[in-house]
Amino acid sequence: MTGNVAVSRADVPDQAGEWVLLSYRLPREPSGPRTAVWRKLRKFGVAQISDGLVALPAGPRTREQLEWLSEEVIDSGGTAIIWLATPGSRGQEHQLAETMAGARAAEYDALVQAAAAAAESPITASAIRRLRNDLRAIQRRDYFPPAERDRAEAAIQALAPVPPRGGRAASRDHAAGTAP
Amino acid sequence: MRWATRKGIHIDRAACAWLIQRSLDRHARFLFVADPANVPADATAFDVPGAELSHHGGDCSFETILRRYDITDPVLWRIAAMVHEADLDDGRYDAPEAPGLDVVLRGLSMIHSDDEILRLTGAVFNGLYEYCHAAMLLGHEPS
Repeated sequence: MTGNVAVSRADVPDQAGEWVLLSYRLPREPSGPRTAVWRKLRKFGVAQISDGLVALPAGPRTREQLEWLSEEVIDSGGTAIIWLATPGSRGQEHQLAETMAGARAAEYDALVQAAAAAAESPITASAIRRLRNDLRAIQRRDYFPPAERDRAEAAIQALAPVPPRGGRAASRDHAAGTAP
Repeated sequence: MRWATRKGIHIDRAACAWLIQRSLDRHARFLFVADPANVPADATAFDVPGAELSHHGGDCSFETILRRYDITDPVLWRIAAMVHEADLDDGRYDAPEAPGLDVVLRGLSMIHSDDEILRLTGAVFNGLYEYCHAAMLLGHEPS
């Protein structure tokens, strides 16, 4: 990537990583595009640095996500610029990461509660599938996994029925003649 | 004709290249640029921000090409649903194949050049086409 800065200063042994930033402005009215952009930023799990400035750790996927969104902003009559940037210090990067991890932790916690609520009555396969989808959506925007992630995974795994271990397949009559 | 897109291709660009070669230009030659400004004047850009054959109105580039060239083949539109969800994951379509396609492409991009990925995914999309075609004729998934 051309934005990489090959710094080899001995006094900076541990440089912060590269981030992709989107700075944007959208007209206040109509509110439709503003809401659409806001929803997407939420889905991407961005760090909101200030009003109209968001960041994600740089990678092919995150860069593409913000690049297409900047096109959308411009198509809606706004202005947008994509930046590649490195936080000035590891400490500042750490703060960004902490904030993002905290936001994901709250989402995982909510999922653990939803799983607990679901477990109170007989659970359906479609309810499990919904919870798994929710978990996956959070994981896709989780760049600095907090401990809560493991708890959410365990809570949802506990809902799924234990798969049968051998001896059951032969009783499924339609499989009798075709099983290899 | 020459067709240009951004380097480091993923699902949408791979699918577009396959579609271009299949439906628009059998002798298409593809080039990959780091910056949209580097698209040569004699090349048609696709899946490049600001280009005509790109994301528009919530469509991914594959859908844009189908619309722009009035391609109505239902099998290609079924593949468009998979590509859209693998690329944008916005729930517009029900395409359970999408997460699988997404990780396959991401894995290939770690070990192959863009040219090689086009070659490999060409076979994948040909297979997908046959599968979806058979499913439509049968009215259910082929066994």
